[in-house]
Amino acid sequence: MGRRIGRRDLLKIGAASAVAAALSGCEFPRPWVHLEPYVRPPEEQVAGVGTWYASTCRQCPAGCGIIVRVLNGRAVKIEGNPQHPLNEGKLCPRGQAGLQDLYNPDRLQGPVRQAERGSRRYQAITWEQAIDDLRAGLSRAGSSLVVWADHTISGHLLDLFERLTAALGAPPPVVFDLYTALSGYAALSAADALLFGQARLPAYGMEEADVVLSFGAGFLSTWLSTTHYGVAFGSFRQRPLDRRGYLVQFEPRSGLEAAKADFWVRLRPGSEAPVAQAIARLIADGGVGPADRVSRARAWAPAVDPEAISSASGVPIDDLRRLAGTFATAARPLAIPGGALTGHGDAVAQAAAVQVLNVIAGGAGVGIAPGPPAEGLVAPVAAPYGRVQRLVERMRAGQVGALLVWGAANPAYALPPALGFVDALKQVPLVVSFRPIVDETALWADLVLPDRTYLEAWGYGVVEPSFGVPVVNSQQPVVQPLYNTRATGDVLLEVAKGIPAAAAALPWPDELSFLRERIAALPPGVFGGVGEEVEWARFLQHGFWQPRPGPGALQAPEARPQPVVVPAPSFQGAAGDYPFFLYIHMPVLLSDGRGADKPWLVGSPDPMTTLMWQTCAEIETNTAIRLGVTYGDVVRIMSPYGQVEAPVYVLNSVRPDTIAMATGLGHSALGRFASQEAEGPNPMALVGPAADASGTSMAWANIRVRVERTGRRVALAKFEDTRGSYGGFVNQAFADQYL
Amino acid sequence: MADATQAEHKWTMVVDLDKCTGCQACVVACHAENNVPIRNKSEVQANRAQHWIRIERYWVGDPPARARFLPMLCQHCNRAPCEPVCPVYASVHSQREHLNLQVYNRCVGTRYCNNNCPYVVRYFNFYDPYFPAPLTEQLNPDVTVRTAGIMEKCTFCIQRINRAEQQARSEGRDLGPDEVIPACVQTCPPSALLFGDLWNPESRVAKALADNPRALRVLEHLGTEPAIYYLKGGKSYVRF
Repeated sequence: MGRRIGRRDLLKIGAASAVAAALSGCEFPRPWVHLEPYVRPPEEQVAGVGTWYASTCRQCPAGCGIIVRVLNGRAVKIEGNPQHPLNEGKLCPRGQAGLQDLYNPDRLQGPVRQAERGSRRYQAITWEQAIDDLRAGLSRAGSSLVVWADHTISGHLLDLFERLTAALGAPPPVVFDLYTALSGYAALSAADALLFGQARLPAYGMEEADVVLSFGAGFLSTWLSTTHYGVAFGSFRQRPLDRRGYLVQFEPRSGLEAAKADFWVRLRPGSEAPVAQAIARLIADGGVGPADRVSRARAWAPAVDPEAISSASGVPIDDLRRLAGTFATAARPLAIPGGALTGHGDAVAQAAAVQVLNVIAGGAGVGIAPGPPAEGLVAPVAAPYGRVQRLVERMRAGQVGALLVWGAANPAYALPPALGFVDALKQVPLVVSFRPIVDETALWADLVLPDRTYLEAWGYGVVEPSFGVPVVNSQQPVVQPLYNTRATGDVLLEVAKGIPAAAAALPWPDELSFLRERIAALPPGVFGGVGEEVEWARFLQHGFWQPRPGPGALQAPEARPQPVVVPAPSFQGAAGDYPFFLYIHMPVLLSDGRGADKPWLVGSPDPMTTLMWQTCAEIETNTAIRLGVTYGDVVRIMSPYGQVEAPVYVLNSVRPDTIAMATGLGHSALGRFASQEAEGPNPMALVGPAADASGTSMAWANIRVRVERTGRRVALAKFEDTRGSYGGFVNQAFADQYL
Repeated sequence: MADATQAEHKWTMVVDLDKCTGCQACVVACHAENNVPIRNKSEVQANRAQHWIRIERYWVGDPPARARFLPMLCQHCNRAPCEPVCPVYASVHSQREHLNLQVYNRCVGTRYCNNNCPYVVRYFNFYDPYFPAPLTEQLNPDVTVRTAGIMEKCTFCIQRINRAEQQARSEGRDLGPDEVIPACVQTCPPSALLFGDLWNPESRVAKALADNPRALRVLEHLGTEPAIYYLKGGKSYVRF
């Protein structure tokens, strides 16, 4: 996109020509003022006709293609890019709400300095001052610099950060955020490394599967790609009734997936992986299904006792036998490991235990995402939690000279308070946030240098996991930047100029020339074009790059049999003191909290609870009666590590021994909608500092809690209470008959 | 009530309940397309939430009950109960598009239509819409922003119908079978929502409804003749 003239510029031009006319007086050839705007409209704009720009959604790490309708310099609607192979023109609610990142009323309008951390008194500074401050801080920090980014970072910016840290002798950037942590990115990659020798995220061809066993995967709400799996689910269900896909969801609390499942197994939290192993064992022992599957099952299935797992997990042994038979005899069965089973025990072994079922099935429809398709392209890789723990230790020991936090990572909100991140920050001499809005981490920052939102910024993204064919997304500004913000890539290049060690490593004049150089390394793609300019234009026009030969099928590499040992589930907190399991889940609208600042997301009803602006502690009906609480009663939930207060939502579809809590709210910053209008607990306050046995994941799924009444009540904002919407004419009798 | 004979199209929506995942993408897309305000917490608690399309969640079966999702929006009834009760003809049936229209500048806010709608899909603006700047920039200029005192509801994205018709007319051709796509249908990841002209046998909705034993209309016994067909959830027949 070339230089475009925005609405404001037009007004300025208009004003300037009026002034010019007044000042020049008699020299001016004609006595009237030229009205510029609609005589010579800006390039690419016709009044009243929308211009569509292709770009990339950055609301989660998946990387869906979007097209944005721009009218008179304003972005007015985001839709899915119909050509994009990942989302095929569709978008999830978070993708739809991207405009409210751009037009959020609480965005920072320029760089600020905070003299006293946590004071919320921000003093506006110029970019020159900001860059001087940052340069001085980085020079002082040198090799003790740490960069922390979230997984939605553009490849070119991560690349620049990597070059900067390498030039200063500092460790490479840490990519860690709550979304990828709760989805189990690090452990899923490590499980693929264990089984297939490639540390990459798995991809599942659900659209062609006939039986899917989902072990707690929230594939319709968050997880690896909400929209892709949503599209795939449509195909999975679309086929004629005799071949309609059969979905089994193993989860202690029903989310969207369990609601849509043909069979919901309400198992005991933590027993997903043992159940997968029991199914593998039963396939091996029962001998049902094709001979090759049975022989693979005999080679792979561990020596577990299905009867014992049945009683420990609460899944009847007959159901396990039936599921083993269903899986072994299906034409294209799939087993999917979710985020929850990577939150305790040995996360890698547990994810691998589920993947082993796919190996037994023959591996059709299971893929390992290929790496970046060209030299020099960078894709973020989720850091193992062990690295985050060590980093916090180093911070506490005063070994970190500067911490740069980019994007929605927001560690002060996302990390369990028991880890002590905010305390450790006090030992870091310089903390810089690049988020366009002040979040909980920016509250403790010295400098906030707002980057542009993704609708105003350049970038590229390697789609991971991709489904059968590599894809590189293009991200381009669809509107002119709203405020005096600056692209972090440009800031880094400017800063590096004054640091001798970094200047040679970052010689580019601006981020766009760096980005174009990277993209030029891609071989000719499916959209053709001759010459660098045309290829670049097609890259922007279509919103992505794809190699010339068409899509390939998902096929996992050969796996070599090896023992996958899953430890018995163990829990943090004694059962006597803490009688309930805590089940933390990421809801479809708020996800890990980055939906909380957008009214469209936080003010729309959650599909399961119909709550708006609120999240609750979800307690099963009989348990709520036993505790003497009902809707809106505020309870105190205590774990060995912390406590939160939350109103009760009585949910039918959760185990009686489990308290379910959604992530996303409990903000003390992130703008007025998240911190003032919305209210709800942040369940991360109940999580301990520990990692799982493999060190890849946070141990967040094996917490025990107890519940106390506080005697207070709050009004709930439930959509199901709306007059007539429920229990009106369209009522329970209709639901029982037709739904 | 409608005289259907003059209409050129029979705009119809099909909702496949087997595919709907309840994800709310349609809800957010509708807010974005139609400038529907988000009501704040106290307004929601006063039962004044406003979503032209909503996902109703029902519990079915014995405990542990299973959630079922029912997308509910204006049914664009052929014989709409909301129309004859409007004293100012703000709720009218369009002969050309065969839709239930709400004429905002006629509406005086009696709310009789809301009272008479068995689907409860009309939303009254009890408050002025509130878009703190620069959230005003997100507003779709093709759609009016309604003030307090006005009744509003789903329009089947009539601005998109008009835009597609104008486009086809300017190119001197007939409207294609699936050229009009409302915002909710456009975004729906599993394609649970389909939209089109039922009278065009080439359209997706006509194909989806042809001899489909799963098709039903909500509260059909009231004789409202809704333009939205629901496809009942299916079952898998898996060998055990």
